[in-house]
Amino acid sequence: MVRSARFRQIGLLITSLAVAACTGSDQSGTSAGPADIGGTIVVASATDAGTVLPPLVAGQLDREITDLVYDRLADIGQDLNTVGDNGFTPQLAERWEWAPDSLSIVFHINPHAKWHDGQPVRAADVRYSFNLVRDPALGSPAAPLLTNIDSVSVRDSLTAVAWFKRHLPEQFYDLTYQVLIVPEHVLSNTPAGQLKTAEVARRGIGSGRFKLARWDAGSRIELLADTANYRGRPKLDRVVFTVAPDFNGAVTRFLSGDADIFEYLRPEHVKQLAGDTARRVQRFPSLAFNYLAMNAVDPSAPGKPHPIFGDRAVRRALTMAVDRRAMLRNVFDTMASIAYGPFPHALPVADTTLPQIRYDTAKAKALLDSAGWTVGSDGIRSKGGRRLAFSITTPNSSAARRAYAVLLQDAFRRIGADAKIDEVDFPGYMQKLTTHAFDTEMASFNPDPSVSGFKQIWATSGIGKDGQNHYSYSNPTVDALLDSATTSFDPARTRAYARRAFETIIEDAPAIWLYEVPTLAGIHKRIRTAKLRADQYLSGLGEWWIPSGMRSPRDKIGLRQAR
Amino acid sequence: MRRYLARRLLQAAGVVLFVTTLSFALIHLAPGDPIAAALSGSRVSETVRNQWRAEFGLDRPIAEQYVKWVANAARGRLGYSFSRRQPVSDVLRDALPRTLVLALPALLLSFALGITVGVLQAERPRSARDRWLGRVLLALYSVPDFWLALVALLLFSYRVRLFPPGGLTDPVLYDYMSPREQLVDRLRHLVLPVITLTLLTAASVARYQRGALLSVLPSAWMRTALAKGVSWRSAVRRHALRNALLPVITLFGLSLPAFAAGTVFIEKVFSWPGMGLVTVNAIAARDYHLVTAGVLVMSVMVVIATVLTDLAVAAADPRVRLS
Repeated sequence: MVRSARFRQIGLLITSLAVAACTGSDQSGTSAGPADIGGTIVVASATDAGTVLPPLVAGQLDREITDLVYDRLADIGQDLNTVGDNGFTPQLAERWEWAPDSLSIVFHINPHAKWHDGQPVRAADVRYSFNLVRDPALGSPAAPLLTNIDSVSVRDSLTAVAWFKRHLPEQFYDLTYQVLIVPEHVLSNTPAGQLKTAEVARRGIGSGRFKLARWDAGSRIELLADTANYRGRPKLDRVVFTVAPDFNGAVTRFLSGDADIFEYLRPEHVKQLAGDTARRVQRFPSLAFNYLAMNAVDPSAPGKPHPIFGDRAVRRALTMAVDRRAMLRNVFDTMASIAYGPFPHALPVADTTLPQIRYDTAKAKALLDSAGWTVGSDGIRSKGGRRLAFSITTPNSSAARRAYAVLLQDAFRRIGADAKIDEVDFPGYMQKLTTHAFDTEMASFNPDPSVSGFKQIWATSGIGKDGQNHYSYSNPTVDALLDSATTSFDPARTRAYARRAFETIIEDAPAIWLYEVPTLAGIHKRIRTAKLRADQYLSGLGEWWIPSGMRSPRDKIGLRQAR
Repeated sequence: MRRYLARRLLQAAGVVLFVTTLSFALIHLAPGDPIAAALSGSRVSETVRNQWRAEFGLDRPIAEQYVKWVANAARGRLGYSFSRRQPVSDVLRDALPRTLVLALPALLLSFALGITVGVLQAERPRSARDRWLGRVLLALYSVPDFWLALVALLLFSYRVRLFPPGGLTDPVLYDYMSPREQLVDRLRHLVLPVITLTLLTAASVARYQRGALLSVLPSAWMRTALAKGVSWRSAVRRHALRNALLPVITLFGLSLPAFAAGTVFIEKVFSWPGMGLVTVNAIAARDYHLVTAGVLVMSVMVVIATVLTDLAVAAADPRVRLS
């Protein structure tokens, strides 16, 4: 028992060190002086933003832009704690008070906070923002995440009160992380149902340290420093996101010097930059992890167990057939890490010491033999006339997932399973997921920092339309453990429940945990970054800076207006 | 002439309707839909997607959607682009001029260059000049457009940083430049895509031109001109060339809509947000309205270019009667 506890402590220590290593820090070792204010950075992007209206955000770039242009009441801490308000730092709310029964929280709005059009931020904006997300006419993707919040009322112009249905560990996180505050005076004249297509939704008037200066659809998005911001002027003058038509276009812009940052380098680019004098590679932490998910239900007969993956023994055997470390080296060399289970290791609840199903092809074959899957003349197993044949569905937009699909196909072949690769474009991939029309799929998931996010992908409640459990994994024990994890107020107990849930999932083998890739960004050496958070590496962009002695012509434009 | 134009317009309307109907049906038959592509984030539930589908009428039968789209298009309303989150007409209004800025110089340059090279070859058929130019043209004619574009990008943008790697203008500095600097910046961004397009198209134009010239050089009127004392070079350039322009005029007419509809690979490699790129990206995003509107614009261009070509051929060759 003592030994087990010690192991757990060591595990937690390793996890903490991993989190610390992943959060990243300033590269310069010095801080910016008054002369270092200014400069422009150009970010190459392979996609355009879909919206700059926070309640409608769905894509990664949407989120990066809105997080810079708008503020929350409070921001999550570097450790990504979601229980209570530990670690949260004030943004629009300069302070907050919990009611004795914890069913309401009073937020005091910073009186100096102003919208980018000069109007003051008021408590009514908080109420409007919450109501807008919840408005069924808007169809906000964030609405299902706010079910525990009953309402937001206005006590006076600078005091908003959030009322909750139940006292839950993540109630503060639910409100502050999921709701960015938007200006009522700008948006309220347009009915919520029309905001999706309204021009006013593209104006991006927020209260963040950067303001939206220009959005040329399909071409570029330009943010300017809000020099009078209540949280202080950002150190940079300007951030420009240039939109290339695809991945290759974006990486070319970076490598040719037309852009300063590109977020998603591939291993071959990393090697290319090894001797580069102007650019470096920087690992940004990320919460994304990847796995091969196995569909528990039969795609051709919904409601019935999958004829292959309905059997736990088969799932475990297929997991044993995969040499995950060799695959990782093959695809990423040393630039990614193994996924340890149904979680990214940067989360506080992650535990990388959990027992794994080990690579052992002999044991895998024995397991399949004992499950009644016998080898046929063509080397493929079958049982009751059904061949051990299935498809691996993967989006053709991801080179890594395509490479993994080929390696998995080979690994499965060695134990007598015939996997066909079903490469589809992204809309087709999405359709297959949402209609459960696949055998296995190369999944990539980028969760919120909250434990409750895991319920969407691993709990039985996530199987329906509002969840992400496309592979219909269901285990009452996991459901109960995740429920307990999301209702515990003690972070240690939350971790313990989550650990047991993850351990059970790993044992059940609904998926083969493959890899985690930190965001490998190419970045110009003159740029000094600040602390990087795993859920949003640009969250600290206001503190990034460029030394005055290293300025390029672009950096010297200042804040002057275009001609 | 009026009857000819009326008949061609009627045919054109039929062609455009057929092509747009086909594209509307095909894009709807492809798996996925614009909402799934636009709201693909992991936090978005299927209930929210279904709500958006209902709101934009995407849950209605395809025939109903088509009738509604045609009715709106007839009133000039081309729908809403989910991938660009803009009205389709705004997207096309941006993309079409960008394509024309790229296509028109490339088209004019490629025909000027192609005709010149064709003449140079035909003046001395089977000479060393003809053979060498023929080899170069064959090489250019054979390489895929995206390959030549990538090589140009690699050489002149990445290895030797002579020209920018793509886009219309410098993403930051353009707005802060003087008008002269802006012009230079635009031209610098145009150089690589225009040269690539020019070389690729000039190769086929030159081969057409050479062939056409060689077919008219043995004509009796050439012998007459030479007998009158006109030099060979002058006879080729002043007499034979005019008679050998008809196939090239036809080629020009065919190239015009192809260029104006967007040269997809060139636009993609050089990140040029024109019609081709917009349409291809719209297909990938299952952006129904944008795809159909893009096809509508392209088919209208093909029709217009065909009529213009007929008129040009008739003007150039008195033997052709439009009636």
